[in-house]
Amino acid sequence: MTQHQVPPGLIGARVRRKEDPRLLTGRAQFVDDVVLPGMLEAAVLRSPHPHARILGIDVRAALELPGVFAVLTGEDVRAACATPQPVVWRMIPDQRMTDQYALAVDKVRYVGQAVAVVAAVDRYVAEDALGLIDVEYEVLEPVVTLDDALAEGAPLLYDNWPDNVSCRQTIPKGDAAAAFAEADVVVTETLTYGRQMGTPLETRGAVMSWDPFTDQLEGWMSTQSPNLTRDLLGEVLGLPVDHIRVRTPHVGGGFGNKFDFYGEEVLAALLSKRTGRPVKVIEDRLESFVANAHSREQRIEVSVAAKSDGTIIGMRGTVWAVLGGQLATVGIGPCWLSMALMAGPYDIPHVEATVVGVVTNRSPYGSYRGWGQPKANFAHERIIDKLAHELGMPANEVRRRNLIAPEKFPYPSQVFFYDSGNYAECLDMAEQAVADRGWAKRRDAAAEEGRSLGIGYSFHIEISALGPSKIMNQAGLQHSSFDEEVVRIDSAGGVTVRTGLSAMGQGIETALAQVAAQTLGVPLDTVKVLHGDTETNPFTGYGTGASRGAALGGGALLRASSRLRDKVLRIAAHMLEADAEDLEITDGVVAVKGAPGGPSVTMRQIGDAAYRRLDGKLPDGEDPTLEERDVLDPDNVAFSYGTTAVLAEVDRETGRVELLDYLLVHDCGTVINPMIVDGQIHGGATQGIGGALFEEIVYSPEGQPLTTTFMDYLIPTASEIPTFETLHMTTTADHIPGGFKGMGEAGTIGAASAITAAVEDALPELDLRLTRLPVTPPRLLDALTTATPKDPS
Amino acid sequence: MKPAPFGHVRASTLDQAVETLVAEDGDAKVLAGGQSLVPLLAMRLAQPTTLVDLGGLRELDYIRDEGDHVEIGAMTRSRAVETSPLVATALPLLPAALRHVGHVTIRNRGTLGGSVAHADPAAEAPSVLRALDAEIIATGPGGRRTIAAADFFQGFLFSALEPDEILTAIRIPRQPAGTVVAVEEFARRHGDFALVAVLGAARLDPSGEIAEVRLSVAGAANTPLRADAAERLLTGQAPTPDVIAAAATAVAEATDPAADIHAPAEYRRHLAAVLTRRCLHRLFAHAERSAAA
Repeated sequence: MTQHQVPPGLIGARVRRKEDPRLLTGRAQFVDDVVLPGMLEAAVLRSPHPHARILGIDVRAALELPGVFAVLTGEDVRAACATPQPVVWRMIPDQRMTDQYALAVDKVRYVGQAVAVVAAVDRYVAEDALGLIDVEYEVLEPVVTLDDALAEGAPLLYDNWPDNVSCRQTIPKGDAAAAFAEADVVVTETLTYGRQMGTPLETRGAVMSWDPFTDQLEGWMSTQSPNLTRDLLGEVLGLPVDHIRVRTPHVGGGFGNKFDFYGEEVLAALLSKRTGRPVKVIEDRLESFVANAHSREQRIEVSVAAKSDGTIIGMRGTVWAVLGGQLATVGIGPCWLSMALMAGPYDIPHVEATVVGVVTNRSPYGSYRGWGQPKANFAHERIIDKLAHELGMPANEVRRRNLIAPEKFPYPSQVFFYDSGNYAECLDMAEQAVADRGWAKRRDAAAEEGRSLGIGYSFHIEISALGPSKIMNQAGLQHSSFDEEVVRIDSAGGVTVRTGLSAMGQGIETALAQVAAQTLGVPLDTVKVLHGDTETNPFTGYGTGASRGAALGGGALLRASSRLRDKVLRIAAHMLEADAEDLEITDGVVAVKGAPGGPSVTMRQIGDAAYRRLDGKLPDGEDPTLEERDVLDPDNVAFSYGTTAVLAEVDRETGRVELLDYLLVHDCGTVINPMIVDGQIHGGATQGIGGALFEEIVYSPEGQPLTTTFMDYLIPTASEIPTFETLHMTTTADHIPGGFKGMGEAGTIGAASAITAAVEDALPELDLRLTRLPVTPPRLLDALTTATPKDPS
Repeated sequence: MKPAPFGHVRASTLDQAVETLVAEDGDAKVLAGGQSLVPLLAMRLAQPTTLVDLGGLRELDYIRDEGDHVEIGAMTRSRAVETSPLVATALPLLPAALRHVGHVTIRNRGTLGGSVAHADPAAEAPSVLRALDAEIIATGPGGRRTIAAADFFQGFLFSALEPDEILTAIRIPRQPAGTVVAVEEFARRHGDFALVAVLGAARLDPSGEIAEVRLSVAGAANTPLRADAAERLLTGQAPTPDVIAAAATAVAEATDPAADIHAPAEYRRHLAAVLTRRCLHRLFAHAERSAAA
């Protein structure tokens, strides 16, 4: 099904991305390209211990090294800051906060925690100076795993807490106990999702310049959330925000890591204040594996209660969040969302889900594309597969029986209202596409040759277009989540869009330009999109994350552009002595509808009439200039969704999984640019494949991180990923102008579920249930050699 | 990831390079293609006082036909070895193995001598040298000496080279006509170090029996491993599935793999058997085809 809220045109066109020539030819500017006169470079001394008390820090030798300008320790930072590092998601009111500063004070709680920072003439000297800092530690017993942290008598990370649990919350819907009591069948699973992280090609970085005479702080930062960053810098540094300017050059990949607000930005600002010089801090790759937000790791217990026909009547689940040594910017956020969306796309009347946040001596847990949803998906899809297995039904039959029906929207889930969808149709389309591609025949033919191919499905939902600010505030968000956009036509008819969103390779410039160009009726190449400066661009609440940029930015821009078009038409009507309602704008020319070759005015003439030679052209009562702004604070979030289907081959002798084909049927409402959507979905799916088969942050039993290079942390490369096929359907979000929904995280969410299902399907004679990610060759080989044959009945 | 300060000597003669090593008394490192050393420097895991850069020594960049041997200069880039027509004819196992080394950009930079001197047991080149009974030529203050590959690799990243010696050339016996080769490598991703790789070269005699077979294994012990016992089992036999299975078992028994985050030791041992079997099947399928032709 394809609904149209806006007529097809540039919105919906597969146009090439405006930013690509710059990005692909190396002409884009990133934060490390920023070089200021007198600039110093910083390096951070990081804890080698997972858990230790700091008894003393001697920085004298470092300060004496020629080329060193300043050294800061935790005490300096605490004295200079108005607040600890902020936590913006506070869903659980009685959560124990960790209140840490950019440098450790008293104690370190993970390997890699920042302990001291040096500013020097260059990074080489700064790193030399790190070797001269003498930190005296009292090493404490580390709490490395979830079980370590929960054990009776476990060492405490925070001496003033009774245990290592930061928070616990249960959200019920209906009466789960009753549902489980009357069920024909109950199935239960315990799942382990590996610790992973986003690994943008450009690591994090900042250049901060604090003017000692005016107390103006200018920062160039690789961040997805420039306005949030500015507000948080103001809070932490005790500066009015009008003293802070955040500039974001091109962001070389965000993936959520760069949504979060880190201590290094604060350190660079304080070093700049101390030295009177600009200070650059660029995280290197080794640091990124311990200083960047970790993510994904959870233990999930999930059960469903069902009727013998496959109808699910109840669900219970507990998310055990393996947090790090301190809370990151988003606190319990992603793990809370795993809990809140555990029922996924299914119409389950009785749900009771719990999240428990547990601190360990690992790096902090923060944002990564998908933000809790890949784990929720793994929970509901794995348990659907197990229920189907238990009932002897095809998994997609169980799905179909339980997917929320189109007429039930808006659908009240445990927490959110799902806005719209045609879920069963999406699943049907995927099955049809798989049949058209002949996967079952390939699988059966391969079996004849002794090869093991399997087909797996998953269904995912994705919360997007976040969201209604006041409701998000009620849910604990210490920021807003609306979007403001500004569009201006200049004196020569050119269009400039100003946005507060960050350009991080996702194509936001092109998407916004398409919306403005179609709405205004001008050629795409006459639209310029400016981003990356809080001083001159509008305010985006939250940031460029939560799959909200195109949906909310596009929606706000569509409304602003519509009003601007109305003004253009009024001016043109005056100039042409026609009725505005009879006019249309095509390719930048305003003319009477259906009268080609008749009288017309160009956008250039309209610009001239509004800015320069007004007399006789600009109607009385119209203000000069052509500019509109709009703020979109939607009434609800918007839920995208899709079906993932995977054809995989298992090498039974080695446990290696190879993906042979990969299909996604996807619905994100009105598509602005299908090529961008396809690319986003493929990129997300690649990260999902990484999480399913390759990527895992591993700690030694002593709490040392063992994956600190790309030789050990295995992101899939072009050789490991299949070709992707994406099919689209369109169910519009009718509460959002344009009907847009977001889709930036879609590919990550359903990947692991579909891949594990495909692997199990490839081993049909074994009673094999994959519950731990990633499915590495040794783990799969172990699982398939120890699995028992299926009961032939 | 910035190296600690170090001195840099770009040697203009081999003698100068050796003299610098002697003068630095064990605190200098030799820089060849830099594919292993430069990351170690950047992570400050290696902090030599001086780098002795062989990049200017064109006389170490050659592939020479010496009749019953091929001699390859230590500074010859892996990619040059891999694409050399002489090597393809005389030492077909070498290019077959080098194709598994990282990616082309890495092989354009990395040198054969550098890889051998680094002595990583999971690397391909050392295993080829073991399989083919190569000789390593080292030059030190006392002149040249020749070390058999069997004696050269002594432990994990540990070789028979003295701190003041430079690996200058590698001599590999020319393989007889009719030799077929196969490399079975299992890496987590394309271009990664092997978890285990099995390298094989063989000839069948006219009756279809195995006249000669050479097998080595990478990633299965703290040095590259020569599978002597399996070779003895195979030689003189017809390559039946039973014989191949017995050889695979013998290879697995000879391994002494380490565990790391990518695989337990037991998994590597299992892989050695699986890959040996696959390697031998491919080898003898090739051999039969080549005998038929």
